[in-house]
Amino acid sequence: MLRVEELSVCFGGLTAVNKVSLSVGTDEVVGLVGPNGAGKTTLFNAVSGLARPSSGRIIFDSVDVLRAPLHRRAKMGIGRTFQIPQPLHELTVRENLLVAQRFGAGQVDQQKIDEILEFTNLAPKGDREAAKELALTELKALEVAKALATNPKLLMLDEVLAGLETSGKRRFMAMLKELHQKFAVGILIIEHDIETISNLCQRVVVLNFGKLIADGAPDQVFRDPEVIKSYTGADHAGSR
Amino acid sequence: MKTNASIWVLLLVAYGAIPLTLGSNHYVMSLLVAALVIGGIALAWALLGNLGGMVSFGHSAFFGVGAYVSALLTLKAGTPIVIAMLLGGVGALLASLVMLPVLRLRGPYFALAILAYAHIFKIIATEWTAVTGGSAGLSSIPRFPTAFGFDFSGKVGSYLIILSVVLIFALCYRLIRASDYGIALRAMHDSEDATRVIGVNSVLLKALMLFVSAFMTGVIGAFNAHYINFLEPDYAFNGLWVTLPIVAAIFGGYRTILGPLIGAVTVYLIDQLVFKSLIPYGHQLILGALLVAMILFSPSGLVPLLRASVRRNHAAG
Repeated sequence: MLRVEELSVCFGGLTAVNKVSLSVGTDEVVGLVGPNGAGKTTLFNAVSGLARPSSGRIIFDSVDVLRAPLHRRAKMGIGRTFQIPQPLHELTVRENLLVAQRFGAGQVDQQKIDEILEFTNLAPKGDREAAKELALTELKALEVAKALATNPKLLMLDEVLAGLETSGKRRFMAMLKELHQKFAVGILIIEHDIETISNLCQRVVVLNFGKLIADGAPDQVFRDPEVIKSYTGADHAGSR
Repeated sequence: MKTNASIWVLLLVAYGAIPLTLGSNHYVMSLLVAALVIGGIALAWALLGNLGGMVSFGHSAFFGVGAYVSALLTLKAGTPIVIAMLLGGVGALLASLVMLPVLRLRGPYFALAILAYAHIFKIIATEWTAVTGGSAGLSSIPRFPTAFGFDFSGKVGSYLIILSVVLIFALCYRLIRASDYGIALRAMHDSEDATRVIGVNSVLLKALMLFVSAFMTGVIGAFNAHYINFLEPDYAFNGLWVTLPIVAAIFGGYRTILGPLIGAVTVYLIDQLVFKSLIPYGHQLILGALLVAMILFSPSGLVPLLRASVRRNHAAG
């Protein structure tokens, strides 16, 4: 479904993403890991259209979307969340989903909105003003709900679990596990917690300094000496 | 309920009481017409600001283009005034097309770019003498006709026309704001990237708001041309046609629909009837002070201030 080929994104002299190739299938949950500054979010931005790649290709559903504007990519089925939640200001939770559905999916379906609200545990908060009256867990859930309302084929989740307390994290995990099946959506998820990734993903891709250094099953990848080195900054692989 | 009732009262006063009681007072009626012209521009300006998130200093261009298009069509092609006025709006809309490239700019950059554009139109009106008559201007622009046995060229007739035009625009504004587009536009204000990643074509939506705003301002400009029967570039493209509406909109509350209208009528009438008699020259000084006070004490303007006090009284009673 998503195929990224030799993608590079540069900011001035800095190459944030360096010739990265990866793919995500419709029925896959893929983890994207790497230390801070590895280029994970930049990769998300490039795929969703917020950052302009300097070279490479982004193929989505067999269409080259490299030049397609942001909103067109959303309509095609590329959904994403932001690490720092970005609720739509001045709108209620329900209106947030309404806009996402109307413009992202093309038509309004109240029943689907109810279903998404229910699924993301936001049903009781539907009439609250999203930007002002939600707690962090709810804001993170709204990020997911908004993306779901656009009827995506690919959902890119940027550290949706970060900053949540343990119980919230557990509930969110359960939701994410179900999400993939229930909404028939392929998932690419950025997450720091190795346990979460192992638990959730069939495959994991590791970036370090903008380069892809591993791509495979979690238990394999997390044993890879180079991956361990990238995380610890030293050669601990030998001591294991 | 309460808002509905007060709107009906307002309509009754505007269409009934005012023409009946003040209709013979030409001075006050002309002040009211001028106030409504400014109010109409203020409404269109606020629509662009509130829904599109754009601050424009270029609305005088739309006003002027609308005025010239309508005047020329009636003078040279004999187009009926009503159609010419609408085409004046279309002319202003077309003028706004050249502003599309700057839509991607934000904040002060957009404001500056559109100000520069406005000047281009003024220069065209001055230099294209074969069509516009240059700086000598156009005179004997046809007045409003007599219809249904009522002479619309008089003060009361003109007042009723501009009042209706402005109220129709307010209604359109309301419909747009309540639509899906309106909701998306509201969201775009503080979270443009977030709205774009869920499929909203923000540039298109902003462009549509620019078109609507330009059209409205053009129609108001056209009205004014037929009302005063005379045009020259310095008058039609004067910067006052945008600064006064901005003052009115901010004073009344630019994020409300009626705020700009009420602001315009309040500001203009108080200025002309009270301040001008106190200080014949430089009376705008007080206006400036009043605006500053309003921004300091109620940044969202007069209408939200009134609403809050009504609510307080209601709660207290």
